[in-house]
Amino acid sequence: MEALRLEGIGKRYGRKPILEGVSLAVRPGEVYALAGPNGSGKTTLIRLVTGLAFPTAGRALVLGEDVHKNPGARRHLGAVVEAPAAFYPYLTGRENLRMHAHLAGVREEGRLGEVLARLRLLAVADQKVGSYSLGQRQRLGLAAAILPRPKVLVLDEPTSGLDPEGVALVHGLLRELAQEGVAVLLSTHHLQEVAQYAHKVGILGGGRLLDEVALSGKEAYRLEADPPEGALALLKTLPQVRSARLQGRALVFEGDPEAALRALLQEGYRVRALHPQRFDLMAYYQERVKHA
Amino acid sequence: MLRLFAFEVYKLFRLRSVQLGLLAAFLLPFLWALAPGLKEVYGLVLASGWQVVALSLLAGMEFLFPFLVVMAASEALGSEVAQGTLKSLLLRPLPRSLLLLAKLLALFLYPFVLLAVSFLGGLLAGLPHGLGPFYGGTGVGAGGFAGVGLLLPPQALAELLRAHLLAGAVLLPLVALALLYATVFLSTTASALAAVATLLLMRLLVAFPALTPFLLTTYLDLHLRPEAAGLGLPLLFIYTLGFAFLAALVFERKDL
Repeated sequence: MEALRLEGIGKRYGRKPILEGVSLAVRPGEVYALAGPNGSGKTTLIRLVTGLAFPTAGRALVLGEDVHKNPGARRHLGAVVEAPAAFYPYLTGRENLRMHAHLAGVREEGRLGEVLARLRLLAVADQKVGSYSLGQRQRLGLAAAILPRPKVLVLDEPTSGLDPEGVALVHGLLRELAQEGVAVLLSTHHLQEVAQYAHKVGILGGGRLLDEVALSGKEAYRLEADPPEGALALLKTLPQVRSARLQGRALVFEGDPEAALRALLQEGYRVRALHPQRFDLMAYYQERVKHA
Repeated sequence: MLRLFAFEVYKLFRLRSVQLGLLAAFLLPFLWALAPGLKEVYGLVLASGWQVVALSLLAGMEFLFPFLVVMAASEALGSEVAQGTLKSLLLRPLPRSLLLLAKLLALFLYPFVLLAVSFLGGLLAGLPHGLGPFYGGTGVGAGGFAGVGLLLPPQALAELLRAHLLAGAVLLPLVALALLYATVFLSTTASALAAVATLLLMRLLVAFPALTPFLLTTYLDLHLRPEAAGLGLPLLFIYTLGFAFLAALVFERKDL
């Protein structure tokens, strides 16, 4: 079963549509990144998923339970919906977390120390949140989100306002959580960083889900062979090669590189270079948004 | 629920409007006790410290106390919206109505605390005038400030306690009304203004005599007319419940 599932979810304010018919699913252990230009509907989608806003069409299911019909569904959910996360400034970080632990039904006192340590906040845990820096508040938000050991984590711009060390910490944490089986849905403008560990990227534009890109298995190879046109024609005939295209004087293909190399050498092509080429998500995103 | 309620009470008394309100309620009696124009305005020469307590209640209930409870109720939700903390509360697996109920119960406490502080301030400010038996009235019992003869301290205390409790009951629907507007507008200022405007509008409806007995504003001086409590108290209770129910209904489906 998918940990998080959106079925044709939409939101209108009066006659103005903000989101239309967005359907997506995130499986346990999967990281799904939402990308899109400002105003594309990312934050609205996050608010709908977390039950803060109500859809005018469709539904959002967390482990099969509708978050808008059953508030109890949020027991599986951890979320940060604002950057920086909001807390009571007159309480310390630990007191804020204790209040969240109570509301989320977390009974183990040790869990507070655990999440504070994981987000490297132990040194400031007993200081009032009003004195926290932007980055510390953002990390405390993440600590509050993971406090009840959620099965689904929803984050709006989780690295916003963080220094490079904080960004690395958050990405590392999200990667670990995904490995532990948590489904992560996050919105971001930092595609290159997220592409390192995200499994899927959803591209939003004009309130619609324009495209979904599966990043795992998107390993492409760059090949330089002479003559390239002939090599391209040969690669296209190979069952082990899924797609091949010319990029300048080089060939870019997806599939089995060894099979491709063997076939080219057998046919007498001169192969000068063959190396992996990461899928250029940014270029793809820009093209997709431009055409939308 | 108890812990949630306790937390809401804690947050409520951290609000600036609440702290300022309590300070004003405490200091107002001292101001009244020293006011040089009491005789000209009220025809009153203070004969007892008990009259200072009543004077503070009467003056406060004119506008200040209703305004303070409306502000507190508006700010209780509005400040959480402005700070962003309401969202983080609503992300937790609790029904929205439960969160609102905890807030409402905490807010219901405030008018009584406000009046208790005013009572205490009145007693302290009235000490120089003495709190023993006196010829005259408390201003909230028979005969007004002139009274009907000798008034003993227990009688004065009972009259003032009854008046303060009735005043507290009068303020409860105002709390619920302001919270209703806060759920609609999610803004402190808009909610407080809407609540005040509603009360002013209701006062204008006095031109419709058939409606008058059922208007909330008809009973805003119930502390001075305990004989009207028979109809007034149930009506205030119905208004409170009605506004609270509507607030819960609005909040349940409100986008944040």
